[in-house]
Amino acid sequence: MKKQIYIALLLLPIVSMAQTIDRSKAPAPGKAPLIQIGNPVKFTLANGMQVFVVKNTKLPRVTASLAFDYDGFAEGDKAGVAEMAGQLLKRGTTTKSKAQLDEAVEFLGGTMSTSSQSAAVSALKSNFPALMSLMAEVVLQPALANDELEKIRKQTLSGIESSKDDADAISGNVVKKLVYGASHPYGEMMTTKTVNSITINDVKSFLSTYWKPNMAYLVFVGDIEPAVAKDLAEKSFGSWAKGTATKQNFVKPALPNQTYVAIIDRPASVQSVVTIATTVDLLPGSSNVIAGSVMNNILGGGFSGRLFANLREKHAFTYGAYSNLNPSRQVGIFEASASVRNEKTDSSVQELLREINIILNEKVGDAELSRMKNYLSGGFARSLENPATIAGFALKIAQNNLPADYYQKYLTNLAAVDAQKVQDAGKALLNTSKMHIVIVGNAKQIAKGLDKYGPVKYFDIEGNEIAAPTEAKADASLTPAVLIQKVVAAAGGKEAITAIKDLQLKGTASVMGQSLDVKQTIIMPGNAVSVMSMGGMAIMKQSVVNGKYSVNQQGMEAPITDELKEGLDEAAVIIPEQTYLAKGYKLKIVGAEKVDGKDAIDMEVTTPSGKVSHRFYDATSFLLVKTAVSQEVPGQGTVTQQQYYKAYKLVNGIQIASEEVMDMGQMKINIKYTDMKANQGLKVTDLK
Amino acid sequence: MQKKVLLFFVCSFTIAQLFAQGQTIQFEKYTLPNGLKVILHEDHSAPVVAVTALYHVGSKNEDTARTGFAHFFEHLLFEGSENIKRGEFDKYITNAGGALNANTSQDRTFYYELLPSNQVDLGLWLESERMMHAKIEQIGVNTQREVVKEEKRQRMDNRPYGSFLTEMLKRAFKVHPYQWAPIGSMDHLNAAKLEEFIQFYKTFYVPNNCVLSIAGDFNKADVKQKIEAYFGPIQKGANVIPRPTIQEPALGREVRDVIQDNIQLPGVFQAYRAPKQGGDEYYAFNVLSTILSGGESSRMNKTLVDKKQQAVAAQSAPFFNEDEGLFITLAIANMGVKIEALELSMDSIVNDLKTDLVGEREFQKVKNQITTQIVTSNGTMAGIAESLANNEVYFGDANLINTELDKYNKVTRQDVLNVAKKYLNKDNRVVLYYVPKEKSTTK
Repeated sequence: MKKQIYIALLLLPIVSMAQTIDRSKAPAPGKAPLIQIGNPVKFTLANGMQVFVVKNTKLPRVTASLAFDYDGFAEGDKAGVAEMAGQLLKRGTTTKSKAQLDEAVEFLGGTMSTSSQSAAVSALKSNFPALMSLMAEVVLQPALANDELEKIRKQTLSGIESSKDDADAISGNVVKKLVYGASHPYGEMMTTKTVNSITINDVKSFLSTYWKPNMAYLVFVGDIEPAVAKDLAEKSFGSWAKGTATKQNFVKPALPNQTYVAIIDRPASVQSVVTIATTVDLLPGSSNVIAGSVMNNILGGGFSGRLFANLREKHAFTYGAYSNLNPSRQVGIFEASASVRNEKTDSSVQELLREINIILNEKVGDAELSRMKNYLSGGFARSLENPATIAGFALKIAQNNLPADYYQKYLTNLAAVDAQKVQDAGKALLNTSKMHIVIVGNAKQIAKGLDKYGPVKYFDIEGNEIAAPTEAKADASLTPAVLIQKVVAAAGGKEAITAIKDLQLKGTASVMGQSLDVKQTIIMPGNAVSVMSMGGMAIMKQSVVNGKYSVNQQGMEAPITDELKEGLDEAAVIIPEQTYLAKGYKLKIVGAEKVDGKDAIDMEVTTPSGKVSHRFYDATSFLLVKTAVSQEVPGQGTVTQQQYYKAYKLVNGIQIASEEVMDMGQMKINIKYTDMKANQGLKVTDLK
Repeated sequence: MQKKVLLFFVCSFTIAQLFAQGQTIQFEKYTLPNGLKVILHEDHSAPVVAVTALYHVGSKNEDTARTGFAHFFEHLLFEGSENIKRGEFDKYITNAGGALNANTSQDRTFYYELLPSNQVDLGLWLESERMMHAKIEQIGVNTQREVVKEEKRQRMDNRPYGSFLTEMLKRAFKVHPYQWAPIGSMDHLNAAKLEEFIQFYKTFYVPNNCVLSIAGDFNKADVKQKIEAYFGPIQKGANVIPRPTIQEPALGREVRDVIQDNIQLPGVFQAYRAPKQGGDEYYAFNVLSTILSGGESSRMNKTLVDKKQQAVAAQSAPFFNEDEGLFITLAIANMGVKIEALELSMDSIVNDLKTDLVGEREFQKVKNQITTQIVTSNGTMAGIAESLANNEVYFGDANLINTELDKYNKVTRQDVLNVAKKYLNKDNRVVLYYVPKEKSTTK
C-alpha cells in the first residue's frame, strides 16, 4: 500500500512533465469553432407587420424592438422633425403623464426607448407582457403634448448652439451636405431656424405618414416562446390599421466632376479636421461588401490600419487617423479622416491620398491580409455572444433581401477574399480623382498649397458656399507712433482722456448660459479693481490700489510677478496705448487681419518684462477691436486667448466698448456692460 | 487600445455586476500549489471565452511617496515578457480577432482578454507570461510614463469635471491611502527608480495574489491541464504582501471648496463618507442610490432634471471599496441656474430620505429595478468572469454571484431610513462646486 502511494507521488511530476508546453512561442489556435446562427421564427400580422422571434434562454429576459423600414426622411425646412418626434413619443400617452409613464416602465424593472423610426422595450420575462402593453400605448396613443415638445426644442437648440463651436460637429454636418447634396435626406442639416419652425402638427403629420404597421418589423429576442410572442404581438399591435406605405426614392447624389478642397474657416482652430469623402455604390449583401470591408480595415481600421501607422506612428501629425466604409440601400459612403496640427494640414491631405492610392494600386501582402481576416472573423465570432446580433442579422436579411444563409456563410466568404478581390473592390468603389476633401480649420494658416489637390472653395458652417476670405491689407507707411496717435485720437483725444478721473463699468458676463456679475473700476492715477462674482461670491478679483497689487481667485492669492504687475498697471489706465512709448514697450506693426469681416491692423506689443501680445485696430475707425495672447497650457500646447471689443459707446467723450467677448477656444465668455459711468467722484478709499 | 483608470462612473457598473444573480452560475474553484486561485465557468452558448486575471493590488497598496504605481503597472505589463517582444502583447490578441484591456481601482488591478473560443490557450500563455517573467526595463518604464501622462491629460486634466474624484478623495480621506486616486502623482512616477518597479512586481504580481477567472466556451478538463502547464511552474511570492490596516477617523465637519475647470456648466459634487462594501448597510445604500437616481422616475432625475429643470444631469453613485466607502451625489446645472439653488434642491431630496420612509410602491419599484440589473449583469462571459473574481477576492465567496439577490431582498424601508440618517449628514460630507475657469479681464 505504502509503496503504491510513493509511486503515485513520484508519478505526479511525470504527469506534469508530459504537459510541458513550449512557452517560447504563442500556442497554435484550436480548430475553428463551428458557428451556428439559428434562424428566427417569422410570421406576419394581418396588418402587414412582420414579426421575428429569436429565442435565447440564457437569461430570463426579453427585448422587443419595433423598427420601421425607412432609409431616412426628407424633412426640408423642418429638418429635425423626425428626431424630435422620436423623442416626444415616450413623453406621455393619452392616459399617462411623462412621470407616470416613466414610473410604470421602471416599476416593471424595465427600460423603454423611442427614436424617429423605432421603439424598444426590455424587461425580465415575468414583467415583459405588461411592458409590451406600455409600448403599444406609447406607439398607438402618444400624448404628443406641446409643453413636452418645448422641452425637447430647448435641449435641441442648446445642442445646436454648442455644436457651432465644435470643429468635429461642423465637419460632420458639412461633409454630409457636400457629399450627399442639400436636397438629399442624408445631406439635410438641423439648424436653429428649422428647429424653431417645427410645430406639434408637424410631429403628428410625420408620425401618421411614416409610422405604419405594414412598414414595421417587430423583433423579439430572449426567453420567449414564439407562440407567446405571437399572442403579444397580436394583442399589442393587431388592431393597428394598415396604411399606405410612403415610397422613398431619393435622387442619387452625383460625384463631383473633379476632386476639390472645401475649407470651412475657423480662425480659432489649432487643429484642422480633414476628411476625404465620397459616396460609394455599395448595396448591402453585394459582392464587394466583404472584400471592401477588408480593404477599408487594412487602410484605416483602428490602431492597426495603415492610416494610423502613417499619420500617427510615422509622422506624428495626429492622435489618430481612420477610415470607414458603409454600405447602404440608398447610397453608401467612404470617409478617411484625421484631426491634424495646423502646419501639417497639407502634408496630411497628401499622406491620406497617398495611402488610398496605394491600396487601390498595389496588392496587399499575404501576412497583412490574413491578419485582417483573423481579426474580422474573431470579431464576428465574439459578436454572437449578444443575442441582439442574431436579431440584427435577421433584420438585415429581411430589409435587404439577402439570402437566408448570408451570415451563416459570412466566415466562408471572408476566408475566400484574396489580394486580388481586395484590390478589385477598392477600384470599383473609390476614385481619387472625384473626391471631396473637406477641411475645418484656420484658413489663413492652412490654405496655402491646398490647390494642388483641386480647386479650393470656401463654405460656411452650414455648408453654403461663400467667397474666399480676402487678404486684409495694412497701410505700409504706418509706423507704431503714428498708429498710436490715431488710436488715441479715435478714442476721444488726449484732452478728453485726461479729463477722466474715474470710470466704472458694471454688467454681466455669460459663460454658456451661466451668468456672472462684472464690475470694473478705475480711479486715476493708477488704481483699478476688477471683480467677477456669482451669487454675491467673488470668483475673481484683481486690483492695484495705491501701488499694492493683488490677484485673488476663489480666496487664493496668486503670486505677483512682473508680468502681472504690468497687466494690472495697464488696466489702471483709461486708454493704455497713450502710455506705451513712455513705459518702453516695444511696438511693431506686423500686418493685417480680418476681424469680424473687417480689415484690422495687427500691432505686436512687447512689454518690458517680455510678454508679447497682439492688438488689432480697425483700419478705418482705429478703435481697438481685438487682442490676442498666446500661451503654453500644459496638456493643450499653445492656446491663443482672443478678446473682442464691440459696440463702442461714448462715455464723457471717450469711446468705451460696451461688449467684450473672450474666446479661449474651448470656452467663450460674453460680457455686456449695462452701466458705464465716468467722473462720479469715486475715491481710492471706496475701493475694497 | 485604451487602458484606463477605473473611475467611479465605471465603478458603479462594477457594482451593478456585483448584483449578480438570476439563475445559478455554475463554476469550479481550486487553488494551485503556488497559491494561484482558479475559477472556471464553462458555457458553450457562444464561441467565445474570457480569460481574466485579477491581482489584489490597487492604489491603496502604494507607498505615500510612490502613488500611481498600481495603475502604472497596468500599462507596464503590456510591454512584453521573456517570450513576448516589446509591443507584441496587444498584437497577439488583435491578430486572433480578440480584444483586451485592463483597469485599476483603489483595491485591485484587472486584466482581461476576450477571444474566439479556439484561442483560449493564447490567453493562458499571455497571462502566464505576464505573471512569470514580465520585462520590467527602463525603456518600457520611460515609454509608459509618457503614455500615462497623456492619459492623465486626456482623462482628467482635459475632461470636464475630470479632476473631481482626485479632488474629492484628498478632502474626504486624510490618513487612509484612499486619499489619492489610482492615477497618482506624475512626480512620484518620475522619481521612481527601475529597482522600485521591479520590487513592486515581485511583491504583488505573484500567483498567491491573483485570481485567474475564465468563463466561456472551453473544455474544462483540457483547460485545467493547460493552466497547470502554463501557471504551475510560476514561483510563489517570497515577500509579505502589504495591506493597509489604517482606520480613517470621522470627517467631523463639512468640507467645502470651489474648483475652477474648463467647463461650460457649473456642477455640484457631494460625497458622504460611507461604510465599506459587503455589509448590510452597503446593500441598503445601493437601494437608496437606486431611489435617488435609478432611471427617469428616480427622485433626482424627476425633480432636478425634469420638473424643476435645474440640472442637465443628476446622479448618485455608491463608491464603495474594500476598507471605506463614499456615497456621491452630483448634478450639473442647467443654463442660467444658480449653483446654490441647485445644491438646496439636492439637499432637500436627501433630507426627505432622512425624515420619511420610502413609499411602498416606490420601494417595490426599486427592488424590481435591482432584480433586473442583477439578472442582466450575467449576460456576458467577461461580466461573469469579473464578478466571480471580485467576489472571491473581496469576500472570499465567488458564489456570491448566486446569492446576492437574497441580500437585497432582506433590505427594508427602515434600513434605508437608518443609513440615510446615520450617514447623509452635513458634517460627514465634502461639497465641491465646479465653476467655469476665469481668465484675466484686464485690458
